[in-house]
Amino acid sequence: MSPAWLLRRLLLMAYTLLVVSILVFAITQILPADAAVTMLGQDATPAALAALRAKLGLADPVWLQFWHWFSAVLRGDFGISMRTGLPVGPTMLTALSRSLLLAVCSLSLMLVIAIPLGVLAALRQGRALDLAVGLISYLGISLPEFVTATLVLVVLADRLQWLPATGYVPPSEHLLDGIRHLVAPVLTVSLVLIAHVSRMMRSETIDVLASDYVLAADLKGLAPPTVLLRHVMRNALLPVISVVALDVGYLLGGIIVVEEIFAIPGIGRALLVAIQNRDLPAIQAGALIMAATYAVVNLLADIAYAVLDPRLRYG
Amino acid sequence: MTPLLDIAGLTLDYRTRSGTVRVLDNVSLSVAPGEVLGIVGESGAGKSSLAMAIMGRLAGNARLTGGTIRLGTDDLAAQTARAMRRIRGRRIGMVFQNPATSLNPTLTLGRQIVEVLVRHRGLTAGAAWREAASWLERVELRHAAELMRRYPHEASGGEKQRVAIASAFAPQPELVLFDEPTTALDVITGARVLDLFRRLRAETGVAGLYISHDLGLVARVADRVAVMQRGRIIESELPRRIFAMPAQDYTRRLVDAVPRPQNRLVQDEPASAELLCAEAISVSYGRRRLFRSRSAKGISGLGFSIREGEILGVVGESGSGKSTLARALAGLVARSGEIRLEGVPVTRMGRDYRRAVQIVFQHPDSSLNPRQRVCDLLARPLCLYGGSTGDIPDLLRQVNLPPEYASRWPHQLSGGEKQRVAIARAFAARPRLVICDEITASLDASVQAVTIALLLELRRRYGTAYLFITHDLNLVRQIAHRLLVMRHGTLVDQIAIGTLGTGREHEYTRQLMAASPTPVGEETRT
Repeated sequence: MSPAWLLRRLLLMAYTLLVVSILVFAITQILPADAAVTMLGQDATPAALAALRAKLGLADPVWLQFWHWFSAVLRGDFGISMRTGLPVGPTMLTALSRSLLLAVCSLSLMLVIAIPLGVLAALRQGRALDLAVGLISYLGISLPEFVTATLVLVVLADRLQWLPATGYVPPSEHLLDGIRHLVAPVLTVSLVLIAHVSRMMRSETIDVLASDYVLAADLKGLAPPTVLLRHVMRNALLPVISVVALDVGYLLGGIIVVEEIFAIPGIGRALLVAIQNRDLPAIQAGALIMAATYAVVNLLADIAYAVLDPRLRYG
Repeated sequence: MTPLLDIAGLTLDYRTRSGTVRVLDNVSLSVAPGEVLGIVGESGAGKSSLAMAIMGRLAGNARLTGGTIRLGTDDLAAQTARAMRRIRGRRIGMVFQNPATSLNPTLTLGRQIVEVLVRHRGLTAGAAWREAASWLERVELRHAAELMRRYPHEASGGEKQRVAIASAFAPQPELVLFDEPTTALDVITGARVLDLFRRLRAETGVAGLYISHDLGLVARVADRVAVMQRGRIIESELPRRIFAMPAQDYTRRLVDAVPRPQNRLVQDEPASAELLCAEAISVSYGRRRLFRSRSAKGISGLGFSIREGEILGVVGESGSGKSTLARALAGLVARSGEIRLEGVPVTRMGRDYRRAVQIVFQHPDSSLNPRQRVCDLLARPLCLYGGSTGDIPDLLRQVNLPPEYASRWPHQLSGGEKQRVAIARAFAARPRLVICDEITASLDASVQAVTIALLLELRRRYGTAYLFITHDLNLVRQIAHRLLVMRHGTLVDQIAIGTLGTGREHEYTRQLMAASPTPVGEETRT
């Protein structure tokens, strides 16, 4: 991985985000919402509306409006929420931090469970354990997360009374309570991911197990754990990394549903509220932040891939 | 002397859905300490199963139904899996056919030797690293310290195979199994790897089991040669005797199938009319990218001509640009330079040109669409070039396949049959020139002989010219009129077959000839 490659990759990311910001801006332009009407309400006088339009620059040509907005975004200023009158940026970033906590916990839980599960299923290919893992995986993939969420709630919160049903407590304020509130949403999100990634890990492991270099490693007389960890898993993990990166895309979408069900004030929920209220600056900020998160995660995945696979240490 | 490896009455079955298949039938053999036994047989003869049985790593559906495998005083068949892992690598080393796939792509070459030393000789990581580096020097690799840190994709095929050999020899085993260790390498690299093996053998006194389909090759490295056919060892002899007086018909066929340059299969001279002329043909791969200049692989400045009905051989090591040349002539890659067909410059690869110049690829498995029946495969070019589906039976007969094969799928055919379908597909267009890109490289020696005979028969009938690309110099010397020798994407020699060995050939051509030995006991003046 050379500095030139990293620079190329960063430029590409900046370009992607520029395109996304143009799209986000264009979509909010197309929305049948007049910012002035939204802010002042239906009963506003035409004079007041005109004054506000002039103040917001709504009469300016579109490209100039875009430039005003975009240059402010580059300075970290996403504008003032039409709903709350507070700056959008800080609100959205706080929401993002809560979502990231949920996402990171879910991803970690997923990795800890899905990868050993996939490898185990591959080693016991065609036997009871493999079939059981396969069945559960298909269930996990085919159930929408609102169903999984409901199941998790019914069992853990209602029947067993182990967990609070909904709500969010920042772990920084009250660690134990914060964790108790996170368990159900993390379980819900990771179940789908576990299903997906363990299937992938299983099929990759089966492919690698059949490779010449694993046979060669075995015929060198290496101990089975060495063969498995050093020769099989290192190679089988590679394609899984790119799948996990793609799954983060799912996570960003799926998290909206999960946050809504469990009443977590994360970015998904903030975006939902913004859309319901036609809060244009908040919609723009939310969409852009989500796209940026996705782009950064994919960059990280590319870097991880390049570190693990020497063939991809781009020149 | 007591044998080091002693196999008696070994019988092995595979249980499949369609019943039990016997892959080893009462196999008995022995290898004395320091001796090298060659095992020759065509694909499916049971050679690899024998190696895996010795290594104690048989497939789940394999059943040893009889016999013993002794290494020294230990019965290998009776060992536990745990004990076997102390014998594998430690007492029996193994070198595989293809170093490109038998080395782990994500580990450095050094680590792949170090891990064996740590496991079997109990060395610490640092000591193992130094020992591994000294082994790389012993297998004649320069810059050993640097190579240790490289990954397999950063090394050449020959370097990788030497690393694999080093990792097999490093624990100082008593026996090393070689499974076609030079088949995936080009001629010169392969010959040097064989030299290395001979030297290591003399230095270490290791015994060997050398498995190959190439009788000529095995006869050069082994002290004795055992011929395997359908799971049995039918003959076991000294190499010279095998060639001089094979006892079995099957052995005789193998012996006859070994290409001998002095045994010309083509007697006639081609017409003087020029069919195709290529001038300054260049192909470059890779695209221009930000921060990086275009890479300079490919071929550059090739010029040659082919006469009507001529067989023009093309030889060179892997990566020399042979296949790129084939693709450029067939119009499969963008090229610069001029091609003239019967004196007319070809500006556009139109239908007329594509009809006149057809190509047959190395691997029929990937060049025949697995979802099309033979009749569909042949109907496409037939209909495109003015024939009809009614010509299919005739076309099949011309390549010595029964017309009933029209309804078969590619997977129902053997390797040789598939290649014949690919040849029929090329001839469906009634071409003037057929480019044969290593078309016999994946076939057994006897199948290769049959396929070559077929090509010559078709040439007699249609006067077709061939551009015959191969790495087998002995084979091409049997059939070609002239030879192009390629290296690093350029043409280093262009010579008539008759003048080979007269001293007028390029230095590199001489090296290629030296690396392509003729069968034992039949050395020619060249």
